[in-house]
Amino acid sequence: MIATLDSNRRWRRVFLIVGGIIAAYALLAPLTSLDAAVSANVPLLADRLWFRIATYIAMFIVMATGWNIIGGITGYAAFGNVAFFGIGAYTTGMLIAKAKWPFLAALPFAPVVAALFAALVGLPLLRLRGHYFAVASLGVGVAVGELVQNIDYGGQPLFGGASGLFLPIDSIANRGLYFFYLMVAAAAISIAVTWWVLRSRFGYGLIAIRENEEAAAVLGVNTTAYKVAAFALAAALTGLAGGIFSQWNVFINQDNAFPIEYNVQMILMALLGGTGTVFGPAVGAVLLQLLIQFLGGSLPMTVGIPFVSEAARPIVAQVILGLLLVGVVIFVPRGVIDFFGGRSRLSLSYLRRSLRETSL
Amino acid sequence: MSEAPSPHPRATPGTSPASAEVKIAAAAPQLELRGVTKRFGGVAAVDGVSFEVAKGEIVGIIGPNGAGKTTLLNCISGVHRLDGGDIRWEGASIAGMAPHRIAKLGIGRTFQIVRPFGSMTVRENAAIGALFGSAEARRGVKGAFELADEVLELVGLSAKGRHPVSALTIPDRKRLEVARAVATRPHLLLLDEVMAGLNNVEIDEALEMVRAVHATGVTVLLIEHVMRVIVGICRRAVVLDFGQVLAQGEPEVVLRDERVIQAYLGERYAKRLRAEREQAGTH
Amino acid sequence: MANFVQLVILGLLAGGVYVAVGVGFGLVWGVLNIVNLAHGGLVIVGGYITWQLFTALHLDPFLTLPVDAVALFVLGYALQRGVINRIIRAPLLFTFLLTFGLNLVIINILLLIFGSDFRSVTPTYSGQGLEFGSVVIPYVALTSLGAALLLAAALAFILNRTRIGLAINAIAADRDAAQLVGIDLRHAYAVTFGLGAACAGVAGGLIAMIQAITPTAGEPYTLQAFVVVILGGLGRVSATVVGGLAFGLVEAFGQSIPGSGSVFANAIAFGLMVLVLVTRPQGLMGRLR
Repeated sequence: MIATLDSNRRWRRVFLIVGGIIAAYALLAPLTSLDAAVSANVPLLADRLWFRIATYIAMFIVMATGWNIIGGITGYAAFGNVAFFGIGAYTTGMLIAKAKWPFLAALPFAPVVAALFAALVGLPLLRLRGHYFAVASLGVGVAVGELVQNIDYGGQPLFGGASGLFLPIDSIANRGLYFFYLMVAAAAISIAVTWWVLRSRFGYGLIAIRENEEAAAVLGVNTTAYKVAAFALAAALTGLAGGIFSQWNVFINQDNAFPIEYNVQMILMALLGGTGTVFGPAVGAVLLQLLIQFLGGSLPMTVGIPFVSEAARPIVAQVILGLLLVGVVIFVPRGVIDFFGGRSRLSLSYLRRSLRETSL
Repeated sequence: MSEAPSPHPRATPGTSPASAEVKIAAAAPQLELRGVTKRFGGVAAVDGVSFEVAKGEIVGIIGPNGAGKTTLLNCISGVHRLDGGDIRWEGASIAGMAPHRIAKLGIGRTFQIVRPFGSMTVRENAAIGALFGSAEARRGVKGAFELADEVLELVGLSAKGRHPVSALTIPDRKRLEVARAVATRPHLLLLDEVMAGLNNVEIDEALEMVRAVHATGVTVLLIEHVMRVIVGICRRAVVLDFGQVLAQGEPEVVLRDERVIQAYLGERYAKRLRAEREQAGTH
Repeated sequence: MANFVQLVILGLLAGGVYVAVGVGFGLVWGVLNIVNLAHGGLVIVGGYITWQLFTALHLDPFLTLPVDAVALFVLGYALQRGVINRIIRAPLLFTFLLTFGLNLVIINILLLIFGSDFRSVTPTYSGQGLEFGSVVIPYVALTSLGAALLLAAALAFILNRTRIGLAINAIAADRDAAQLVGIDLRHAYAVTFGLGAACAGVAGGLIAMIQAITPTAGEPYTLQAFVVVILGGLGRVSATVVGGLAFGLVEAFGQSIPGSGSVFANAIAFGLMVLVLVTRPQGLMGRLR
C-alpha cells in the first residue's frame, strides 16, 4: 500500500488535470454557439443538442450530490428523494403559472419549500432505520407524486392534474445556454455545499451518526436535529434542480416531475462515483447519464447493438443498465472515485477483494 | 456493612473513617440515584436502585452477570428511559433527557463492546468527542483536533493518531473509547468493563490510564468484573444483584460480605465459607 | 348492510392474493434480511408461466400453480446462489440496488419475450360465483383465497417440520451459530430465496387470473408486499396471513370511499405503513425484533 503512494499522487494529478480540461471545455465550449461568437468566426465547439444533454447531466449532478448528503454522508439511504424534485418543480411552476411571479423570484422558493417538507416528513421518518426508512421514504416519494397529480380544490385539479402544468414561455434569449449555465451553477453550489459540510462540525456529526448512531448520541450529537437538517439540505438541493427544470421544460406533470426511476438513478450515480465523497456523485452522474443517453440512442453518435433491432433497443438498454447495476454493486461498492482518489488501482485483485469482503 | 451516606451528617455520631467519607459525600452528591427502575417486558432489570456519588470519587459497580449494571449505566446516560425513580446530576433531575443533552451536561461514557467510528482515524474519533461534548469541550474543528491530541497523549495513543481505527488492537480500541469520552470534557465518566479481555500487563496500563483521567478532576463510575481493579482504585463499591443494591462500601469490606459472595459464587459456597469462618472464629 | 358484507368479502378475497405475495417476501426479508425489490418481477414471471400453460395447453390455471412454484424455486435458488450471495454481507443499500437491478433485467427480458401487450387468463368459470341474495362470491377469487392459504400452510409446514426448514429457522436466529453446528449457509440461503420466489410464482399465477398482466404489472405488488409484512409483523407466516387479509380489507374499504378513493390507493397504502411503523412497529401480530 505504501509503495503505491507516489504513483497515487501522480495518478491523482493526472486525473485532476484531465478533469479540469474536460470541465473547462464543458463550461466554455457552449459559448461558441452565441451569435456574437458565430459572427466572429469562432469555430463551433458544441452544438445545441449537447446543451440539452449537458443540462440534464448537471441536473443529475445536483440530485446525486444532494442525495449523497443524507444517503452517503449520514448513512440514511432515502429512496424517495424525487419527491423533493417534484415539489421544487411544482412550487416554482405554480408561482410562475398561477401567481404570475417572474422566474428568478419564484426559483428560491423551490429549495425552501422542499426543505420545509423534508423537515416535516423527516421528523417521524428518520426515527426508522435501515430497510424501514428506505421503503418508507420510497412510499412518501410515490405518494407525494400521486397526491400532487390528483388533489382537487373546488372541483378543479389544484396542481394541474393529469394534464399537467404549463408555464408561460419566458423571454430569455439563448434559452439553451441560459438554463445550461443556471443548472451548472446549481451543480457547483451543491458540490460546494458538500465540500463545506465534510469539513464542518456538522459533517463530522453526520459521519458519526452514520458510523454509530448510539455512540454519537452519548458523545453529544443531537442526532435527531442533525438527521433532519441533512435531510432538509438534500431536499433543498434536489428541489432547486426541480425548480430550474420547471421553467426550462415549461411543462410539468407527474411523469416528468416525479419520475420514479430518478430515485434509483441518483442513488446509483452516487454509488458509482463514490458515496460520502465530494466529487463522487458528480463523477457518477456524468458517467451514468452519458451511458443512459448513449444506450437510449439520444447521443449524436450511436452504435448499433449487434443482433438487436431498433425497436428492441431501449429494452436491451434497460437490461444492460440492470446488469451494470448488479455489476457495480458487486464489484465496485466504493465507487470509481476510489481509483481517481488514488487509493486503489482498477485490477482483477481489487475486484476479487471487493467480492470477498461482501460475499458469503 | 456500610449504609448509604446519611444526608444529615450531624445525625451520624462517630469518627470512624467511613463517616469522614460520609461527610464529604453529604456535602452535595454530584450524582444521585433515587429508586431508579427500568423494566423490559415484565422483568425489572434495574429495581429501585439508590446511591450517591460525590464529586471526585472513584466508585465501582460490581455484581454477577445480568445484575443490571450496564442497564444502570444506560439509564444514567439517557439511553434508556426510566420506568421509575429519579436521577439527579449536579442538583437537577436528568431523568427523561435525551442522551446528547446528558452528554452536554458533562456525563461521558464508554460502551462495553467498543463502538468506534470505523471509517475515521483515531484522531478523528477523539475529535468527535471534543466537537460535541460538554460545555468545556471545543467547538471549532481546529480546536477540537487540538484537544483530541491532548487526550490521545493522556491515554497513550499519540503515536497512532493518524491510523485508521480498523488497525488498532483491542486494548488500543478500549483506550480510544476512553479517549473519545474524555474528549467531551466530562465531569463524570462512566466506564463499562474497560478491563474486559485485557491481560495483566494491559490491565496495569489501563489502571494507570484511569488514574490519570481521574487526576484531571473527573469523577469516575466504573463497572468491573476484575476485582484487582475495584480494590485497586475504588474508594467505594456498590454491589448489584438482580437489579437491586445488595451492599455498598469499601471494596474489601463489601467483597467479604456473605451476601455478595453468595450472589457471585452461590449459596453452597457461601455456607461453606460461613462454616469456615465460624470455625476460625472459635479457634 | 349487504354492501358492507360484500365489501368485507371482497376484501378478504383480495387479501388472498396479498397473503400469497406477502409470505414469500416476508420469508426472504425475515431470514436473509433482504428486501427483495425484484419480488414483483418474480411474481409476474409466475403469471406468465401460468398464462403460457393456460394458452398453449389449456390447463386449468389452478393446476399450473405447482409448476409456477417449482420453476420459480429453481430460478430463485440460482439467483441467490449465483448472484445475491455475493453481496449478502454488504450494507443494506447494496442489496436494495442489486435486487432493483435484477428486477430491471427480469422485466425487460419478459418484455423482449412477450411484448407489452396485456394478457389475461380466463378460465370458463371466471365470471361466475356463489350467490347469497345480493352478495356475490366469485369462484376464482374464492379458490384463489383457498390456494393462498394453502400456500401459507405449506410454507409454514416446510419451515417448522422439515430439516431444511429448521436450518432456515436457525439461520434466522443466529447466522454464525448456525454455521457452527454445520449448516451449509450458501445452500440454506439459496433454498430460502427459492422458497420466497416459489411463493411469488404462485402469487403471480393467482394474479394472472384476476387481472390482465403485462411485464410491469408486478411492480405495485413489491411495495404492497412490504406493507403487508409490516402490517402483520415480520417473523411468522401466520402474521403475514393476518397482514395480507387486513390489507385486503383496508383496500376494499378505501376504494369504496366516494370520490377519488381508488386514485389514492398508493397514498393510502403508504400512509398506513408509515402509521404502523411509527406507532406499532412490530405489526398487528409480531414481536419486536
